[in-house]
Amino acid sequence: MKSKLKRLPLLSRDKLGPSSKFGGFDVVLFIILLIYALLIIFPFYYLFIVSITPHNIYAETPFLLWTPEISFDSYKAVFTESKIWNGLGITLILLFGGTAYQLFFTVITGYALSRKGWFGQNFVMNMIIVTMFFGGGLIPYYLLIESLNMKDTIWVMIIPGAIDTFNMLLIRNYFASLPKELEESARIDGANDVQIFVKIFLPLSLPMLATIGLFFAVGNWNSWYNGMLFNHSNNLKTLQQVLQDIIVNQSSAIPNPNQAKITPESLKVAAIFFTIIPMMCFYPFLQRFFIKGIVVGAIKG
Amino acid sequence: MEKVLIKDRQSFKYSLVKRVKASKFLILMIIPAIVYYVLFCYVPMYGVFLSFADYSISKGVLGSIFENWVGFDNFIFIFNYPKFTEAFLNTLLIGSLKVVVSFLGAVLVALLINEIRMRFFKKAVQIIVTFPHFLSWVVVASLFLMLLDKTGIINKVIVAAGGQDLTLFSDGKQFIGLLLSTDVWKEAGWGSIIYIATMAGISSDLYEAADIDGATRLQKIWHITLPGIRPTAILLLIMSVGGVLSAGFDQIFNMTSQLHNSLVIDSVEIIDTLIYSNTIASKSLDEGITTAIGLFKSVVGFVLVIVTDRIAKLCGERGII
Repeated sequence: MKSKLKRLPLLSRDKLGPSSKFGGFDVVLFIILLIYALLIIFPFYYLFIVSITPHNIYAETPFLLWTPEISFDSYKAVFTESKIWNGLGITLILLFGGTAYQLFFTVITGYALSRKGWFGQNFVMNMIIVTMFFGGGLIPYYLLIESLNMKDTIWVMIIPGAIDTFNMLLIRNYFASLPKELEESARIDGANDVQIFVKIFLPLSLPMLATIGLFFAVGNWNSWYNGMLFNHSNNLKTLQQVLQDIIVNQSSAIPNPNQAKITPESLKVAAIFFTIIPMMCFYPFLQRFFIKGIVVGAIKG
Repeated sequence: MEKVLIKDRQSFKYSLVKRVKASKFLILMIIPAIVYYVLFCYVPMYGVFLSFADYSISKGVLGSIFENWVGFDNFIFIFNYPKFTEAFLNTLLIGSLKVVVSFLGAVLVALLINEIRMRFFKKAVQIIVTFPHFLSWVVVASLFLMLLDKTGIINKVIVAAGGQDLTLFSDGKQFIGLLLSTDVWKEAGWGSIIYIATMAGISSDLYEAADIDGATRLQKIWHITLPGIRPTAILLLIMSVGGVLSAGFDQIFNMTSQLHNSLVIDSVEIIDTLIYSNTIASKSLDEGITTAIGLFKSVVGFVLVIVTDRIAKLCGERGII
């Protein structure tokens, strides 16, 4: 698995010719990219400092880039807020349940469509492609969800996401690229389509499954749109919806136990970091999976 | 697989029943997908007939379509509705600026990352700049609203240096600029990946030949790298044209949720926010009317893709359809 990922043409070849030396051009590039990377990092850095600065220092310091006194009171206030934990609970249900559900339906559909020549294959494929160009729009979708009685249930955030067409085509193309002989020899041994899929194709596509699973997982972690449309009761709000509440009306959404010590800004930031720290920790190690997904999809699709 | 089936057809006395039987497991595997796409994509598509009717809750969607048929009244209404015209023009403006800016941003970042030669630095930069793509607009919008707020550090520095308070959140044009730049901040790194991969696929013979001819690095970029990514770039541009009329509901919804300046909110009112706020958030427009707006959006989006594709083909490019 590792070797496969390393063979990606991303960072591999140096095409600058044997003669080129490290010169002024490289220095300029280095500086531009450094500034770009700092522009990405700066908002996180600055707001993190805001979140750990006590109120009195925040009020006194004009340009807060460093704090002499660290206080985690805003994080304590966020951690003791039951809304946040409730939102985290809902989001974790989506993260595990929703991801498994989406992965299952997306992958079996991708496998079936990757096999050529069965009855109805072209018809189903065209039926799916049409939906990439045309849709009914928000209102008919909204009325459909209403008529299915899925409003104000957790199902509305899971069930309508069963198949993601982009990811489905990604895994379909991957299955189609595996050698045909694998299937033929298994068929001679008497295996049926389900056995071939489970015993031969799935084990061979674990890196791809990881990629797609991660895309789904990120989507579920960030899920708020369906919740915003259909779920308004507090106990069904996802973590992102809770965060939205805190940001839009922070004073009422989260009680500030210690006005003198905690700024309203630091409360907001603490809530934001609560949702992004898990991603920050995992992302550097998972980045190659995401990149693999988009590169394979682009070249084959 | 193809060959095996053709053999099957010959030996089996090819017939429909046998074809279905031969692929029964695959058909079983595809049934959930058929149910899913019919229910969640095709059922809402028949709902577009609602745009020729007045919706009433008691009659339901089908009942409203059959009993409250109004012909083209809803369309006549929306074309005479100034808020719609304004939202449509805003959408076109924001959407097309976004397509251009995010395309240029992604290509520029890809060129920079492709040219830099320090391996470790390159990897680190790539990890950093692709990260914001995975944050939701809820998070990114609030990061920037706090950073650029009157009490945020950027405004403080500008004022201390003798400048005026930032008017990003009270001036419509500046706010659109903010939408574009936060979009680039979030997506340019991620968008560059495809171009970097394409650049890595360009034959190194071309670069060696250019070296022998004494080409500078800028010349190599202009004459080899950029033409090398042209087919990919055209393909992605055509695909992104379909999204012009979407213009980013998530971003605009989250970035305006804390604003109380109606001038700014009006200047970034797009089709999707118009539909949402007039039929779902409040009931000020009939479902039939907002469905008509949605249908108009889908049709124009589809036409835009076809037209761009044709133009690309006329210019000798590959196109997508």
